[in-house]
Amino acid sequence: MEDIILEAKHICKYFGSLTANDDVSLSVRRGTVHSVIGENGAGKSTLMNIISGIYKPDRGEIYVKGKHAVFRNPNDATKCGIGMVHQEFMLFPELTVLENLMMGYETKKYGGFLDKKQAAKDILEIAEKYGFSIPLDKRVSELPVSLLQQVEIVKVLYKGAQIIILDEPTSVLTPQGIEGLFQAIRYLTRQGKTVILITHKLKEVMEISDYITVLKNGVVTGNLRPDETDEHGLANLMVGRQVLFNTKKQEKQIAEPVLTVDDLTALGSDGTEKVKHVSFSVRKGEILGIAGVAGSGQSELIEAIFGLRSPAGGTILYKGEDITMAAPRRKREKKIGYVPQDRISTGCNVNGTLIENCIMGYHVAHKFRIPWLLGKEEAAAFTGSVVENYQVKVQDIHNKIGDLSGGNIQKTIVGREFAQNNDLLIIEDPTRGIDVGAIEFIWQKIIDIAQQGVSVLLVSHELGEVMELSDRILVMYNGGIAADLENTPDLDEKTIGLYMLGGSNSQMCKK
Amino acid sequence: MKIKFKLSQTTLLEIMKYFIAVILVMVIGAVIILSQGNSPLEALRAMIVGSVGSPSAIGTTIRWATPSIITGIAAVVAFKSGIWNCGIEGQMYFGAFAAAIAGAALPLPRFLHIPVCLLIGGLAGMAFAFIPAILKLKLNVNELICTLMLNYAANLFTEYLVFKYMGFDASELADAIATPDMLPTARLSVIIPKTSATTAFFIAIAIAVVIFLLYRYTVKGYELKQVGENLRFSKYGGINYKRTFIMIFLLSGFISGVCGGTEMTGAFGKFRPAFALNLGWDGVMIASIAKNNPLAVILISIIWGMLKAGSFQMERTTSTNRLVVMVLQSVFVLLVAIDYEALLRQFKEKRQIRKLRIQKEEV
Amino acid sequence: MLQLLFSISTLSAMIRLSAPIALAAVGSAYGHKARIFNIGLESYVLTSAFFATWGSYLFENALMGLVFGIVSGIVMSAVFGTFVLHFKSDPIVIGIAMNLSAWGFTTLLMSNIFHTRGSVMDPRIKSFGTVHIPFLDRIPFLGSILNNQNTLVYLSFLVVIIAQIVMYKTPFGLRIRGVGSNEEAMQSAGVSVLKYKWASLIVTGVLAGAAGTCLPLCGISMFTENMSAGKGFLAVSAARIGKGDPLKSFFACLIFAFADALSVGLQGFSIPSQLVLTAPYIITVLVMCLTNLGELRKESV
Repeated sequence: MEDIILEAKHICKYFGSLTANDDVSLSVRRGTVHSVIGENGAGKSTLMNIISGIYKPDRGEIYVKGKHAVFRNPNDATKCGIGMVHQEFMLFPELTVLENLMMGYETKKYGGFLDKKQAAKDILEIAEKYGFSIPLDKRVSELPVSLLQQVEIVKVLYKGAQIIILDEPTSVLTPQGIEGLFQAIRYLTRQGKTVILITHKLKEVMEISDYITVLKNGVVTGNLRPDETDEHGLANLMVGRQVLFNTKKQEKQIAEPVLTVDDLTALGSDGTEKVKHVSFSVRKGEILGIAGVAGSGQSELIEAIFGLRSPAGGTILYKGEDITMAAPRRKREKKIGYVPQDRISTGCNVNGTLIENCIMGYHVAHKFRIPWLLGKEEAAAFTGSVVENYQVKVQDIHNKIGDLSGGNIQKTIVGREFAQNNDLLIIEDPTRGIDVGAIEFIWQKIIDIAQQGVSVLLVSHELGEVMELSDRILVMYNGGIAADLENTPDLDEKTIGLYMLGGSNSQMCKK
Repeated sequence: MKIKFKLSQTTLLEIMKYFIAVILVMVIGAVIILSQGNSPLEALRAMIVGSVGSPSAIGTTIRWATPSIITGIAAVVAFKSGIWNCGIEGQMYFGAFAAAIAGAALPLPRFLHIPVCLLIGGLAGMAFAFIPAILKLKLNVNELICTLMLNYAANLFTEYLVFKYMGFDASELADAIATPDMLPTARLSVIIPKTSATTAFFIAIAIAVVIFLLYRYTVKGYELKQVGENLRFSKYGGINYKRTFIMIFLLSGFISGVCGGTEMTGAFGKFRPAFALNLGWDGVMIASIAKNNPLAVILISIIWGMLKAGSFQMERTTSTNRLVVMVLQSVFVLLVAIDYEALLRQFKEKRQIRKLRIQKEEV
Repeated sequence: MLQLLFSISTLSAMIRLSAPIALAAVGSAYGHKARIFNIGLESYVLTSAFFATWGSYLFENALMGLVFGIVSGIVMSAVFGTFVLHFKSDPIVIGIAMNLSAWGFTTLLMSNIFHTRGSVMDPRIKSFGTVHIPFLDRIPFLGSILNNQNTLVYLSFLVVIIAQIVMYKTPFGLRIRGVGSNEEAMQSAGVSVLKYKWASLIVTGVLAGAAGTCLPLCGISMFTENMSAGKGFLAVSAARIGKGDPLKSFFACLIFAFADALSVGLQGFSIPSQLVLTAPYIITVLVMCLTNLGELRKESV
């Protein structure tokens, strides 16, 4: 029964001078869950993009059911029964679910027209068979994330996939959502489908996999079964050293509130209420973490606090002063810093030099010697201090920031905000998609700065990050605060997960 | 001793790009001129004679370089911040009309009259630029299409204003339609006798230099640049986008209006409907060739002036239609818009992959 | 005055004048859906107006004019596509440069081929004729507005309907919409983004070519310098107002054409002609304001 359905042999892939995959081989057995794990940038996604026909390998071959397969485009892979669910969903927000599923795989009638009825019938049949339920006539932009993932899975099944590749499927889900996904995966494998799971979360790997392949720097460092190893062993293979984070937290005095948000309401870009009557306060020297499923209103809350989105109601008090309607400029003048989630489009100007990027905000909050004149030396000195203290690897501060790696860009942004003597820092997903070394570094910096008496409001979609760093945790659900919890050692993920799904009494948010 | 002179790859590519564009434009120009039954060499000689061959030729060059610089700067100010103000021509019409009336009607001493005319022209251009600016800000109306539409409207509307002011009725001959002659106190001095080259040229250069300094050395200039390169980033960094946006649009409109003013106080002396004949678009083209660099605008504008001055001579002596020059100018814009760096990157990646593949196979 | 606004002659003129804008706008709608901002449409219209005139002149046949117009529209699209899709140039810069060169280019060709300046009139240039549809006679008001229009006017109606069906009922239209919505998703669905961007450009070229043909061959049988006079820009804004929906874009065109028709009708009155002539442009801006206002309202509810 466990015959090999997919085999990749000696795959090599280069991007410019970067080697993404170097002589990678992989064999996957029918009806199993095969996990491919590795750090960010280890080459997992590249390998999967090759298997699903998006990239062409520079060397190496792929065999499906023992037959040599050459994929010129994703369609060829689809025809061989390979379907991929990407981490960033490959969906068309303006189109309906049905249109999304039909794209590139259209059922036709009268020699050229879309046959939506037939397609809908086929899709519903498949969805029912595998236990999914999706609304076909809704626009994709109206659906929640967990449903989008189901749409993606049904899409690959509809296209006749035997092998389903899931790229970091759990990063958008709650612990309970992950449980649901795993059930679906087990159901699929029982029906004879094969699942390739890409992830960097070791606990999940141990729980669901039949086989594990570990990648590091584009090379395979291990092929094993979960019963042959444990999380530490896998981590070793992934990174080559022990990396179970142990950020040191010391006892500290947490004093008066610095930021008090009272009954805050904010609208999303689509005009619906995304933040609903939220109240909380951040005290001096405190790290307040906000957890929640992506899209629960965290981004809107943060933007409203920083002034990028005007609040529809409620007040924001900062050091006893009402700053509800103040623009970002005034917030910066009052020493509030912000590390945004999207570092490329909000956090920096990729076409600007490192200097131009570092003095953004500084030019408002600190002013140059002659306020209207750009002090070149002062700007260079500040940039230099950021580069040095935050270990940004760059040859010249006149270089474009866009040429740096993601981790270095993130360090620059964090450094810029941290080095300006701010009293309140709003930090959103500070470690998304960067390598382990940089994560450790940034985490330590956050803890250090709170130690110095700076208040931190930390929003992260990685629950682990929030639990690692925060003194106190707020859980957001559907625009409101579902829980306000002290981060004690006995607080566990399951509890928070329950709140993330809104599955608890909402009285707890009232202090 | 060897002199080490190393150009960065980007600069080299830029230089190559302009070089290739010049060569291609010359070839295309030769073909067009040949197709009209004329000799390209003779046309070229006529162009050179007409642009730098005599003092009066140089005067004509300067005369046409002047508005090109100012409209070019007006375009740079807008484009650098990512605002597509294509209404320079319309803003110029309003500026020119206002300046012409001020020049004809206000009895002022000379030292005051010209600045007042230019200021009024600038303010009129600014007022007209306020319409698309506020519509974009309040109603998110695409400023490019809006300014394009308003150009047509401005042309017709200023014509109407001339009628209204002069009390003509509609049957009047088109050639006679104009505002009264401006007073001598409102006219700029001619710098090369018997030509239309006036001190407006120095005003133009001064405007370009001021804008250059603004971007190079001031905090405001830094903010304007960041707004253009990444709007979200600059909002996040504490730049007041709305105020900046309005400011840029008004500044661009003001400069356009001043250009109308210098045209009136300089070369024309009275307002004639539809006098501008593409001057606004020249500015747009120049800004895109100069890659929004104010100093490069001066250089390109002088070349533009030479082309224009030369084209008149060419038409007189060789019967080659001077529109050839306009076609070539826009073809040049097309060629310079090619992103060679992206093309080279694509090419290099492909080559790199091929090379690595060969290496691997040898091992 | 009000009678004039909705008189049969004004409304009939509206229908007649809508044809070129509508054809170009439907073309532009396909570009809009595929997320290509093509301000160069003006140059398509002008160039094909010239070539349509030439084709009609050469063969003394209006249909050959249409063929020439469409082919030149496709060539213009090919130029635009090469620069924007392959040379990675800024579409706005390319559009502006094409508009300017089209003006110079057509005027040059006019003097090369017809040896005149300003405008071309020749008995050899044949226009499309009008069509009488008998059954429309029986419908009172509407019949007299819609009947006895130029062939190209009916063609434009047909094009709007077909374009609407193709956009929403065929795989081609689905893919065009997909390209504009999410390019990466398109790639992963195994559909070539480049191919469909090109396809949308070709559609734009064909329809803008037909639009250009309408200008000289809709009865007047002459070409004048810079004949398009912003028709291409009007079409681009119509497509934007209609959000790339062919039918909605067509309705926007009707409003513009109505303003155009009014400016013809109002010239007899005491209102100065210059002011009347600004009407189409001012109304375009106003319609853009109103549609956006409506949208902002909807969002804030």
